[in-house]
Amino acid sequence: MGTAWHIIKRIMLYIFLTGATVVMCFPLFWMISSSLKTLQETNSPGILLVPTHPTLAAYIEIFQNSDFLRAYFNSVFYTTLALIGTLFSVAVVAYAFSRIKWPGRNIVFFLMLSTMMIPSQALLVPQYVFFNKLHWIGSFNPIVIPGFFAGGAAMIFLLRQSMTQIPIELDESAFMDGANHLQIFWEIILPLVKAPLAIVATFLFVGLWNSLLAPLIYLQTVSLYTLPVYVSTLYNINSSVQPWPTIMTAAVLTTVPLMIVFFIAQRYILEGVVISGLKG
Amino acid sequence: MSQNPYIDVLINTILTVLFIIIASFGLGTLARTIAKWVGASKRKQENTFAGYLFAAPWIVGFLIFVVIPLGYSLYWSFTDYRVTDNAPPNWIGLSNYAQLINDAGFRSSIVNTLFLTAVGLPLMIGLALFLAVLLNQKTRGEHIFRMAFYLPVILGFNTAVLLSWRLMLNTGTGIINQLIRAFSNAFPPFSYLNRAVIFVQEIISALFLGISSGKFNLLNRVWDAGLPAANRVPMWVESPLWTKMSVIMLMAWGCGAMMLIFLAGLNNIPRELHDAADVDGANGWQHFWKISFPLLTPYVFYNLIVGMIACLQIFEPIYVLYRDNQPLVPSAISMVYYLWQTSFRNFEIGYGSAISWLILFMILTVTAIQFMIQKRWVNYELY
Repeated sequence: MGTAWHIIKRIMLYIFLTGATVVMCFPLFWMISSSLKTLQETNSPGILLVPTHPTLAAYIEIFQNSDFLRAYFNSVFYTTLALIGTLFSVAVVAYAFSRIKWPGRNIVFFLMLSTMMIPSQALLVPQYVFFNKLHWIGSFNPIVIPGFFAGGAAMIFLLRQSMTQIPIELDESAFMDGANHLQIFWEIILPLVKAPLAIVATFLFVGLWNSLLAPLIYLQTVSLYTLPVYVSTLYNINSSVQPWPTIMTAAVLTTVPLMIVFFIAQRYILEGVVISGLKG
Repeated sequence: MSQNPYIDVLINTILTVLFIIIASFGLGTLARTIAKWVGASKRKQENTFAGYLFAAPWIVGFLIFVVIPLGYSLYWSFTDYRVTDNAPPNWIGLSNYAQLINDAGFRSSIVNTLFLTAVGLPLMIGLALFLAVLLNQKTRGEHIFRMAFYLPVILGFNTAVLLSWRLMLNTGTGIINQLIRAFSNAFPPFSYLNRAVIFVQEIISALFLGISSGKFNLLNRVWDAGLPAANRVPMWVESPLWTKMSVIMLMAWGCGAMMLIFLAGLNNIPRELHDAADVDGANGWQHFWKISFPLLTPYVFYNLIVGMIACLQIFEPIYVLYRDNQPLVPSAISMVYYLWQTSFRNFEIGYGSAISWLILFMILTVTAIQFMIQKRWVNYELY
């Protein structure tokens, strides 16, 4: 085991990791590169990593496409509304499961964990009929309202784990000072779980922003489409020529908010704050 | 109801919040009354009230969006209910389930989904574990590598990203096949490797297609054709033999979430165990298989359960890549895609409910089996 062998192993490790990084990021790079190409360039054989004559034509075109802009607004609008409702209700319920002792807590908590095994799609059909009865098909209601009922057992679990680690003496001394549960929740507990809250918010945002099936079923009209549903209509499966630069431009613009959120939250996510809570 | 969809949902949101607040206080008061009735202390009554008050959003949501829908769909699965005609559901007993057994579309959707799970999931877990072990060697720029490997998880199965893959996977002009061609021309051994991989992959896929359709002539054709010609490239999203492999590649690309779990697991292994093995002269291979892997099995189990539930529910890639592509549909569709098609295109609610219950039943069964056999291989010594 000489040092030379050690150095060679190190170099090979770095080469491999760099290669893997390139592979992992390549679809994103290809998306950006293709959005700057012309239609001929995207459909021509040959390896063209970057366009010979980068053009913003597709971007100009898509910014004049009112359907796309409305889909963008719809996505931002519905994601924001559903995110606020879900985040707040999830935090409230996590508080009940971690800071209050009440009869039946363990049973309800076990029930909540077991819902993680129920695929959301199994509930889709009856929920559709239910929303149809309310005349909510063709509106944002079915994709926004359910979140307000603390949707997402995994998120409740995550926050509950973090809240459990806060010493209970904090609450008790606050009670002595005459505070009630609502004040303790808002003024003491929430500020202490900012990092887990940021992670939950990120996961919820990514889930809502990428969601395809529910918006596809419930929105029905183009004017209500969110980005994933609208972008999927740009690609016509039975046509031989696809408007790739346009599709890729829409794709780039769709992923921009995801990238921004990821860069803000990556510190928390990658350093394993979440995972340390999942352990045990 | 307002005509403006944005104002409409805002009004309904406010009504929902009011409803939740009223329901929460109602539930809390009810719980306190019961606590008082059974003679609990004042302090305990207050805690009961607060507990149910704060947990109420989930409890109410669970009843409205889980329990009641599951009950209804179980009932509808025994009826001929269709949402389009206003006729009330007619009880038809087990007909829907009997029809499902003979439904070729549903059968192929099950076989395809099982293929994705059986081939894709081990690949994902293996790749995630491999990357985690490499990253655990305390490299410089580890954070950058972690970011790059986690990025696909954030992008996920977003339609936009899936379409980017669709462009890359084009058989004729896609960048992936262009690179394969370029390497094959420049470096003959790579060409043989490529053709061998194509051959093995097509044999496996043809075998599975044979299982789902009951006819094995495609398998015979692939076998008789032998090693593919020198200029052959994978036909990613254009041949029934490749549709599932493309989805598996997408799944493997998103292995970063599993990798993070494994990294956390590797961090929890006490340094002393490896030091002791060094004294005994263990090599890297032995370090991994004798120390790291056995202690990582709880994390493998966690990833297996979570990954399996996700695999069995796969929908987005199938919808974006293969929707309405008639020749490819039987080889590509997943169970959830079939559920979507039956329920929300044909509006056969009764039949769709039967499919939902079968999917639910399958996921619960497979998870239960995993929990039962975990005792044989998961090592909880550290915990």
